[in-house]
Amino acid sequence: MIHLLYFDPGLGAMIIQAIVAAVAGVLLFSKNLLYKIKLFLGISKPNDDVFDDIDVKDSDIESKSNSDKQ
Amino acid sequence: MTSSSRHSSSFRDPSGFIFVDQGIIKRSISPLYFKQYNALKTTDFYKKLQHAGLLISHKELSVSKEEIIIEPEQVSFINYPYEWSFNQYKEAALLTLKIQKFALENGFSLKDASAFNVTFYKGKMIFIDTLSFDFYQDNSPWRAYKQFISHFFGPLLLAKYNGLESLKLMNSFIDGVPIKMVASMLPFKTKLNPFLYSNIHLLAKFEDKHNEDYKGNSKASSLSKKAQLNIIKGLYDFIKKMSIERSSEWGNYYDKTNYANDAFDQKASIIDGWINNLDAKTVIDVGGNDGTFVRKIKQELKEALVCDIDYNAVDANHKYVKQHKESYMLPFVFDVLNPSANIGFNNKERDSFLKRIEAYEPDVTMALAVIHHMTLSGNIPFEMSAEFFSKFSKHLIIEFPKRNDSWVQRLLNTKGEFKAHFDFYNINNFESSYSNYFQLIEKVSIDNSERVMYAYKAL
Repeated sequence: MIHLLYFDPGLGAMIIQAIVAAVAGVLLFSKNLLYKIKLFLGISKPNDDVFDDIDVKDSDIESKSNSDKQ
Repeated sequence: MTSSSRHSSSFRDPSGFIFVDQGIIKRSISPLYFKQYNALKTTDFYKKLQHAGLLISHKELSVSKEEIIIEPEQVSFINYPYEWSFNQYKEAALLTLKIQKFALENGFSLKDASAFNVTFYKGKMIFIDTLSFDFYQDNSPWRAYKQFISHFFGPLLLAKYNGLESLKLMNSFIDGVPIKMVASMLPFKTKLNPFLYSNIHLLAKFEDKHNEDYKGNSKASSLSKKAQLNIIKGLYDFIKKMSIERSSEWGNYYDKTNYANDAFDQKASIIDGWINNLDAKTVIDVGGNDGTFVRKIKQELKEALVCDIDYNAVDANHKYVKQHKESYMLPFVFDVLNPSANIGFNNKERDSFLKRIEAYEPDVTMALAVIHHMTLSGNIPFEMSAEFFSKFSKHLIIEFPKRNDSWVQRLLNTKGEFKAHFDFYNINNFESSYSNYFQLIEKVSIDNSERVMYAYKAL
């Protein structure tokens, strides 16, 4: 519990996370559903975003570790 | 290691500190953090993050009972949140969330989410605080949640709704923009969005309410891992989609300038020739817009710092870097009339622009189409701008637009009845002031224009 030494996370901010998580859960669920519907109807937009998805892919970890060994 | 060599920015976290040993940045880890450090090492979590390019790499130098010393890869030019454009800021926020999700999946959690833990290096945002990880305690909320909002989400929302310059607030609020202030500044419509209402407005209320009856026993709340992941994913998706309406006054600057195409190419080839002759590996382009001129340099550069006052230009540069996976280009926001200062405790936590650039020692400083803005908009005498450039430049490539140049005329006309006060703006005064600080290498006039290029060497 080293982090207890570090800084005050704010009690309000700790309590509120249950609410924030619930709201985010509902939104994520509905967006996901909407996305699937759009995908099914073939109206999902192409993505020209320069940023990746949140997940760290296994290939990211592996391909670079291979090049390190060389 | 004695604490006297401790770096002046490194005191907030008791897990360890940074120190400088003969010019090399090193990190001392205190026994308080040994358990975490060893777990992070043996589970290969560090390695995974480093291979994925998310965390700065390091090597272990020594291990004793008192301390472990590691040496991180040396970052050449640390840049701060208040120097990032909107999409750079977004990238840093997304990186932090991505790391937190990955940490949770591996049994760890970020114990802090400071924007100063991230810096732009080799073409991307990278996490530089190796000791920010702690064990994840089952069903505990994210302790750094509030910090994430005040360091990342708040400033990004302010930038979107109140103007990009809001990102500079991090200069005043070194530990994040107060959430109550963010809530008060955002437009009413943000209250109607349930995501923004819960993450900002309700949070501000909760913080306010629990501020006074806080007795230090924050045992109360619990939150499942799945719920925490919902917060992280929700923030990630929201931030990833955030965009700004561009009013690109400078964005397509090169379409609007008074350059004929030939003159533009000639200017580029003059610069390229000089950079080549000087065998420059590192440059800083002051007022470099979206990096167009630096990209015209054919000589291979190790690193190019390209800064501009215009957020859209820096953003355009950043987008180009991401799309073309460039690693040598480092765009950042910079106001030559007010460079970043030394801030934080003892004025030593975050270094000023001058301090960092003096240590960086670029081979060449480029200042193209900047001097007339400094002199005529900023009223900075030639003598003073010459002194400024001489502080950190080994060589200076500077472009001087003569009095008859249309931009100069435009700037002079805005002076109205005081126009005569700026009669000193001419090529002779420029050359004589700059000769006090620099030795002329070469001078070339650009054909069919009112502009002259100079290559100088510092005296």
